[in-house]
Amino acid sequence: MQYGMIIDLERCVGCHACTIACRAEWEVPVPYQRNWVKRLGPTMTDDGMAATYYPGLCNHCDAPPCVDECPADQVEKTFKDAKSGKTKTMTVSATWKDPFDGSVQVDKDRCLGCGACADACPYGARYVNPAMADDNSEGKVDKCTYCKPRVEQGLEPACVQTCIADARIFGDLDDPNSEVAKYVKKGAKGLEVSDGKIGPNSRYYGTKKDMGLLFTDYTPQLADMGSVKRRAMMASMVKPAMRKAKDIGMLGIAGALLVKGLSENENNK
Amino acid sequence: MILSQVTPKYTSKTTIALFMSSTDPAQDIARVYRFLAQCMQYPDAEWTNEDFFNVLYNLLGTLGAVDDGVEIKKAIDNADDSLEDLQVEYTRLFINGMPHVIAPPFGSVYMDQSLQGAFAGDTLAFYKTKGFGMEEDADLPDHIIHELEFLSLLAEENDFAGEEEFLKKLFRPWFGKFLPRVTDGAHHPYYRVVVQLIDFFTKEEDKDGFQPNKA
Amino acid sequence: MAFNLTRRKFLQTASLAAASVPLSKVVSANTGVSKSALDATGTAGDKTVVGGICEMCFWRCQLVGKVRDGRLMKLEGNPKSIDNGTAICARGNAGIKLLYDVDRLKYPMKNVGKRGEPKWKRISWKEALDECGSKLKSTVDKYGAHGICVFPHGASAKYPMHYFERTVGTHNVSEASFFQCRGIRDTAYVATIGKAPGEKIDMPNTKVLFFIGDHLGENVHVSHIKQYVQGLQNGAKLIVADPRFSAAAAKADIWVQIKPGTDTAYMLAIMNYLVQNKKYDADFIEDHTSGFEEFSEAIKGWTLEKAAKECDIPAKQIKEVAEMLAANAPNVAIHPGRHVSWHGNDFQRERALACLTGILGAYYVKGGWVPAKGPKVKGVSWAKHDHGNEFNLNYNQEEDEKIYTNNPPGTPTDLIRDCAISGKPYPIKSCVVWGQNPLQTIPNQQKMKDLFNAMDFVMCVDVMPTDVTAWADILLPEKSYLERHDYIKKGTQWDLSKEHQQYISARMPLVDPMFERKDQVYITNELAKRMGHSDAIPVNTIEEMVDKSLASANLSLEKLIAEDGIHIQPGKDPYGIPEDFEVLLFNDDLEDAGHPGAPTYIPVEEVPAGYARLLYGRSPVHTFNRSQNNVWLHNAMPDNPVWLNNEVAAKVGLVDGDTVGFVNSEGVESETTTTVKVTPGIRKDCVYMYHGYGSANPLMTIGVGAGVDDQALITKLAIDPETGCHGMRNNFVKLIKNGKVLDLSA
Repeated sequence: MQYGMIIDLERCVGCHACTIACRAEWEVPVPYQRNWVKRLGPTMTDDGMAATYYPGLCNHCDAPPCVDECPADQVEKTFKDAKSGKTKTMTVSATWKDPFDGSVQVDKDRCLGCGACADACPYGARYVNPAMADDNSEGKVDKCTYCKPRVEQGLEPACVQTCIADARIFGDLDDPNSEVAKYVKKGAKGLEVSDGKIGPNSRYYGTKKDMGLLFTDYTPQLADMGSVKRRAMMASMVKPAMRKAKDIGMLGIAGALLVKGLSENENNK
Repeated sequence: MILSQVTPKYTSKTTIALFMSSTDPAQDIARVYRFLAQCMQYPDAEWTNEDFFNVLYNLLGTLGAVDDGVEIKKAIDNADDSLEDLQVEYTRLFINGMPHVIAPPFGSVYMDQSLQGAFAGDTLAFYKTKGFGMEEDADLPDHIIHELEFLSLLAEENDFAGEEEFLKKLFRPWFGKFLPRVTDGAHHPYYRVVVQLIDFFTKEEDKDGFQPNKA
Repeated sequence: MAFNLTRRKFLQTASLAAASVPLSKVVSANTGVSKSALDATGTAGDKTVVGGICEMCFWRCQLVGKVRDGRLMKLEGNPKSIDNGTAICARGNAGIKLLYDVDRLKYPMKNVGKRGEPKWKRISWKEALDECGSKLKSTVDKYGAHGICVFPHGASAKYPMHYFERTVGTHNVSEASFFQCRGIRDTAYVATIGKAPGEKIDMPNTKVLFFIGDHLGENVHVSHIKQYVQGLQNGAKLIVADPRFSAAAAKADIWVQIKPGTDTAYMLAIMNYLVQNKKYDADFIEDHTSGFEEFSEAIKGWTLEKAAKECDIPAKQIKEVAEMLAANAPNVAIHPGRHVSWHGNDFQRERALACLTGILGAYYVKGGWVPAKGPKVKGVSWAKHDHGNEFNLNYNQEEDEKIYTNNPPGTPTDLIRDCAISGKPYPIKSCVVWGQNPLQTIPNQQKMKDLFNAMDFVMCVDVMPTDVTAWADILLPEKSYLERHDYIKKGTQWDLSKEHQQYISARMPLVDPMFERKDQVYITNELAKRMGHSDAIPVNTIEEMVDKSLASANLSLEKLIAEDGIHIQPGKDPYGIPEDFEVLLFNDDLEDAGHPGAPTYIPVEEVPAGYARLLYGRSPVHTFNRSQNNVWLHNAMPDNPVWLNNEVAAKVGLVDGDTVGFVNSEGVESETTTTVKVTPGIRKDCVYMYHGYGSANPLMTIGVGAGVDDQALITKLAIDPETGCHGMRNNFVKLIKNGKVLDLSA
């Protein structure tokens, strides 16, 4: 099973209902976002004047480049298929691709907030919220979950439910009878990276000129993994130090005061 | 409701003993929190009276802030209608102002840019973990008055850890943004002084009684 | 201030104990925080509350609320709705940010300062109502009922409006929405088919959609968008006439890049082509129109070539469109428009739309203009009384007739204003403003201020502070649309080809009102009691009002809640033309009144050299400027880039993303700046921007100064001769970059 989302650009009118519903559902604070709508054109294309939209979200990729970069300690985690009841145990860091539904998820408890996964995502689909920093992290990463908690209760993702044009369709791409699989047969395509193959599962369908405009403007490249890896490495090196500081106690407070003093100086400038 | 709509529920027959004593700092701080909450009620003839101000002046005197007391007293004595002055000032600072309300006394406004944001939910959740909830006619959970009342209740229960945690996680983060809005925006010395009193009594201090931020 | 003690030290001193007055004497014993059982947090979903009706715009979608611990977490479309379904737009979703806006009015307030420069103090409802009641009563006692004027707006103002009109008996009541929005459309269609058209075109089942300037997608009303998208999916052809490549043009089969202001010439040429080539619906014209001969004669000069020149579009394309319409008639949907006060020749354009629909026979047929047959629900309000015309300012006593015949119910604002300021023919001394902002909605602010200054008493009721609330003596806080009962929303399924169904729903609160906000029935009744009208009070509570109204359809609030907020019942087939339906292709009454009897093109002012015409339209995330202060919506589209043709941009050296200001042909400069969007998708003789940005209103915290306010640059109003409405698209601008004014000659 692989969950996927189709965005039908023939239907989409660019109204932003999806982005605001997501914000309300998951209390995503401004200025961060789990999904977005960008306006493209009007511009002249080979197929005539065109204007369309890029309603984006996590692609829950077949080979997600974000997952491998997570420097958090690995733990054993047992997954359960909601339908069959089957279980599977895997070793995961703080982010993983679900073995049953194919969605990419995050464990905020163990997230270090280093941002390596966010940097690794070619689509910019993850953000780190520094306001959620705690003793073990510099913040927490957040992203679209394909509304897993809602879907598991039999509801549609919030963005799909509110879409005024029925332009968003959610379902199992592996089920040939699903609406989403039918769209793929009709030619719905993901924004695959130009320099690799990661298999995005949020896919777009539209007229030739609109699809041309979208893919010309928003086909991404893989991130520079060198800098991503450096960041992840830094985070994993700092991690034990942070714990130690917590154990000692006073060091943590002194550090916090120092940081606070510095930031106050910043503010006074 | 701000536990006080226009008329507070106070009567002179109030039975709870709120005398300060030198033997039990926890009860003392509880009473101080409650006094500070009272200071932030909408001014009303029922309680905004000579007795009240005498206590306030006395408290300021104890803290070595006689000048502040004198300034308030002058503003009160020189006014044609001192109560109306305070009411107008309260309304402008905390309820509705033109063009804007200056310093809405709700934590969520500073943390979520909205009333009833996630911060208000967190505040209520914290009350619940300590076994408290909101009265039917209470104001929003993150109203400064309720937060001070809550602190007084924790203090009465000798829950120092809870008090410190609440101050650190749910009070100081927004109060630090609220305070300058009042001190910069107030036209009447009363509110400028009262919020500084609140600041003083809710600030972090280390074991030597040292308060890191300058008062 | 510096306290000399630390907190700890302070607590160790006994000095406070020695105070002459103990703390106990001045501190309230009660708290708002009470001991309760420890609750488990719980993971079950939030509580669903039914009965919400949106008011972020006036389409009014049906909602449910998701409530957690008394906080409204989210709004969703009501799954039972056969109108919007589970869908709501961006604005609807952001409604909770309005509900929880910290600047909303919270308690009754009294102005102890001056009008316009208020010093507010919170007072009790009793004090507020006593003061309002006694002041209004003394005005009536001294000057008569006509001594009171009322400016109401919106669903919550109907009940008080009826009280003042019917029970108190003043004619001086003025609603504002007519002149700047849909008034022309409605009057032009009334003059053609006898009724206002709404946007009642059967888009899902049409073969051709014809839009003049309609930019669906940027202009968003949920079920209307559903109809539009379904029509396109069903294979309808879409024709969009717009100087700009709008959201609709991007989905169009034919984009007519028409010169602004020439739409009527365009349609006259289409109609003339259809007439000359006998491609009209002869049977329909025979049975259901009048004046075809005179009409044909009047428009016969409009050849394809003449219109091509006037409209700056190819003759071939006009013919193509005319042929497409004729080939698919009568199943064609000619959109009547919504905001239509553009150029001061708008009544004629709307007449042309109505007539074009007529000669194509596209009324009451599948895919044409079809009013759905909705359910009947009676309103409940104050009993009507005839108060005569003696004090009706809109009545010419000598001629014994109304002065303005085509104005909406009530009295035109200017007549009230002039009377209040001059005291002639009689004094007006009290003013009630209810949900309206007459300082913004009606041109000439100074006159409105003069009116307020001439009053003995001014009261305002609103949810938010606006410019006008600063002029009140007493300001009362009203419940918002998410906190109150009132509006009854009814209609049918949106796709007329589906099973015929009707729905009835009533607005119900999704959360308790915070602070001391009250509803219109409470406030109005309390005023009535204090003004000696207790006996006339029709309902005691707003719930009773809604219940009584629902009773006319054998429903009640209780039943509606049991039915998840929406009652659904079998509907009726809307197709089939009524016997007496008639399209006046030529209207004799109009001619008698000195206006053209047939639709006529009136050229508009040309763009002066060096300028571009300023066009504006809707952003999908804003309703005018009332949503500017919404942090979620603001974040979605933070400013309004000005669209500029790429060739013009290249000529003047502007590139995409440059920051510019504006100056108009009358020398008015924009107070703020915005960025340039360089695109081939707009004509060279105009620039375009979203309306509803760049507020200079300091009452707004978030939207203030973001983008540019098109309204501030609209300083010339073109008066539509038939209706007196204000055309706003005859204003011309230059752009300013780095202080340099750029000549935009195409």
